Amino acid sequence: MMSRLSTVHCSLSTPYFMVSTPLAPSQHPLAEYIHRLEQGQALLNDTPENVLEVVGILKSYGVVLDAYSNNLIYIAQEQFLVLFPFFKYFNGEVTLSKLLRFWWHDRINYEYAEYCMRGMLWHGGNGVDSYVNSDEFSQAAERAIQAKLRGNPLLSLLHRLFPDFLPEQVRMFCYYSALGQFWRVMSDMFLALSDRYDAQEIHSIRDVVKHILDGLVAAANQPITYSVEIQGQSYDIMPESLGLTFLMDTAVPYVEAIFFRGAPFPGTVSYNAQAFQIPDEQGDFAYGALYADPLPIGGAGIPPTQLMQDMRHFLPEYLHEVYRRGTRGEDDIRVQICATFQKSMFCVTTAAIQGLAPHPLTTQDPQQRSENRAYLEHWMNRFESSRIREANA
Amino acid sequence: MVLTIVFGLTLSLLADFDSSLGGLQLTEQVAWVDWLGLSYHLGLDGISLPLVLLNQLLTAIAILSSPDKLERPRLYYSLILILNLSVTGAFLSLDLLLFFIFYELELVPLYLLIAIWGGPRRNYAATKFLLYTATSGIFILAAFLGLVWLTGASSFDYSVLPAGALPIGTQLLILTGLLIGFAIKIPIFPFHTWLPDAHVEASTSVSVLLAGVLLKLGTYGLLRFCVGMLPEAWSVAAPVLVVFAVISVLYGAFTAISQQDMKKMVAYSSIAHMGYILLAAAAGTHLSLLAAIAQSVSHGLISAMLFLLVGVVGKKTGTRDIDQLRGLLNPERGLPIIGSLMIVGVMASAGIPGLVGFVSEFLVFRGSFPVFPVATLLCLVGTGLTAVYFLLMVNRVFFGRLSDIVTNLPPVQWRDRVPALVLTLLLVVFGLQPNWLVRWSDADAARLVPPVALAQLSSADPFISELASSQGTASRP
Repeated sequence: MMSRLSTVHCSLSTPYFMVSTPLAPSQHPLAEYIHRLEQGQALLNDTPENVLEVVGILKSYGVVLDAYSNNLIYIAQEQFLVLFPFFKYFNGEVTLSKLLRFWWHDRINYEYAEYCMRGMLWHGGNGVDSYVNSDEFSQAAERAIQAKLRGNPLLSLLHRLFPDFLPEQVRMFCYYSALGQFWRVMSDMFLALSDRYDAQEIHSIRDVVKHILDGLVAAANQPITYSVEIQGQSYDIMPESLGLTFLMDTAVPYVEAIFFRGAPFPGTVSYNAQAFQIPDEQGDFAYGALYADPLPIGGAGIPPTQLMQDMRHFLPEYLHEVYRRGTRGEDDIRVQICATFQKSMFCVTTAAIQGLAPHPLTTQDPQQRSENRAYLEHWMNRFESSRIREANA
Repeated sequence: MVLTIVFGLTLSLLADFDSSLGGLQLTEQVAWVDWLGLSYHLGLDGISLPLVLLNQLLTAIAILSSPDKLERPRLYYSLILILNLSVTGAFLSLDLLLFFIFYELELVPLYLLIAIWGGPRRNYAATKFLLYTATSGIFILAAFLGLVWLTGASSFDYSVLPAGALPIGTQLLILTGLLIGFAIKIPIFPFHTWLPDAHVEASTSVSVLLAGVLLKLGTYGLLRFCVGMLPEAWSVAAPVLVVFAVISVLYGAFTAISQQDMKKMVAYSSIAHMGYILLAAAAGTHLSLLAAIAQSVSHGLISAMLFLLVGVVGKKTGTRDIDQLRGLLNPERGLPIIGSLMIVGVMASAGIPGLVGFVSEFLVFRGSFPVFPVATLLCLVGTGLTAVYFLLMVNRVFFGRLSDIVTNLPPVQWRDRVPALVLTLLLVVFGLQPNWLVRWSDADAARLVPPVALAQLSSADPFISELASSQGTASRP
């Protein structure tokens, strides 16, 4: 497929130039990116520096996601309805040295994983959200709760006094587990990308996007399930029979909740909901990773700071080299990581856009191209206030 | 290196100085020009000791904060050392003419430091400074000459001049000359206009010395020569002086509020804070005189720190414009440590408890209130206004999102931070342990109290009365 804009610059000898019906250039403010996608390119400029940065950051992200994933799944399975989960971030290994390291804050900030989990829970959408609000879930959750209540008078009293509290906790555990399973796949995918880059199999942003898209497609139908073991018996809370799958029930809601919507968090910008500074509809929220201003990163109470803080421990040396060339060297490394991370997220988003498109984006069929154009313009509406221009600056 | 040795030797003075004695110590007198009545007479007391130490400390800090790449560095550092020498000499001089020589000598290096290493309007600022300070010198010299001539003394020696024997009218005339001279130096409204220009055009290290030490020559002159030699005339003039003090405080504060340039704001703040010293000196109680000395040191430390920090902000961002800067407390891309220190500095300036500014200002107000309650209350408004303009500055410059024009600031070296950190430490230490600041001057402040003021107060304020009974009998040197 070639857009009209691109055909102007294309060689006349190109065979399909003669037969394809040119599609008028998009008039969208972000038409440049629409045309890029229609040419099979990514939202991010394809430069060697970008490839290096994106692969490097995704490698460290992969390591961090591995830890987040393990912990989320541990919490979902081992800390199920534990009222005071003091050691939930210890993955079952509570030692003095680990405790001291925790207090010294020399650790992975699992709080960020929980922040994302709550974001998904709050924004909802797709299969998991529908399920946790169904009667079927209530019955499954109640079975597990009743099993947990045995021999636990405090929890029993709590459940009697506030019957909605424990089911809501179970809903949250469903998201702990779902996000943990989603990140398990993504972690492996990003680490494999890094290995392929090291093996010189990845040369361009297009290769990066393809790797991610292939990974998403391969895992698309992987089932998302959740069961918990209580007193030696397994309780299915999200059984496989529900048909919840990786792509539609975790990846898509994750992109929506974390990349796009996010949540207004306490930072340098103070939002006033009563002054309509926060949209009425959650769907209109634009506080996600693709919109985040990297400058406040490093401040207390700004959630992405925790992710950047975690990733900085696992950066490959070649990425350190890039950062050291900045004006302040690595003094502002977390801001630089955030900017790079946003670049990588535009690659992941490109893969998602390609994967969810009604037709292959490079199709030559006029009807399909027209439908793709509408689809892409809809996406680009959401990118208008995003950091896409800064990422490509 | 030279200055480290000098600073070390100056610190050793603390060991030799007996603060309980009061009066002049470690004196040294050598006949110099006998026919002129000039002698090389130096000595140290509780008024001069803190200022001598302050001078050494701030000179060291000024050198530390000087730029790496300087044109004519030898000349630059020589001038700073000459400045240090002349100011120290002025603080130690016990001969009026010797004081005047040092007082005038200080003018030359400072003029050159502004004129050579200053900003774009350095020539204008340096010339203005020169003219004002030279005029100040003329008034002081005239007053000294008049004093010696009218008393019929054969020398300019401070400790033997019978100034108190002159008729009150003559004393007032001489006092007027001295007051004008020192009011220019301090500066007091309406003699202040040279100061903002000089600060804006001077480099950071020169501003540190200018605000931290040079202005103190004026307040030192007031205490040493006006209160010390002409106490009766001082008591008569005091009600007029407090009016100038109040005007300086309020004018400085209100003008500071309207400034866009951070450095100008700190400069006008200096004018306001120097007004407190005049108020305390005018009140003339033991406590207020002690406060005047403490405020001199406190203002020296605080203003030096603020000028240092403003200098770093200006150097790193390329601007001091409050309207352009924003969010410099940004932990990654801003100047978070500099910003944090600035917050401590403005808190100290606004008299927040726990910091040295509170100690000195509280002493000023507590010591002055029994004598001039209305003036003291008006000056208290100035303290409130300090919080207003500095909070405005801090809020605009350091809080919020980092301004787009400063998102790529060069890194801040520890060399930029260490001088301000040292001053911060002192602000906190003296704030928590004020006795370490005032103990050196307590006895001499008591000796300086004009008898008239003391008599008036004994019946008015039980606290002062108690002080008077314990200290008031001390004799003047």
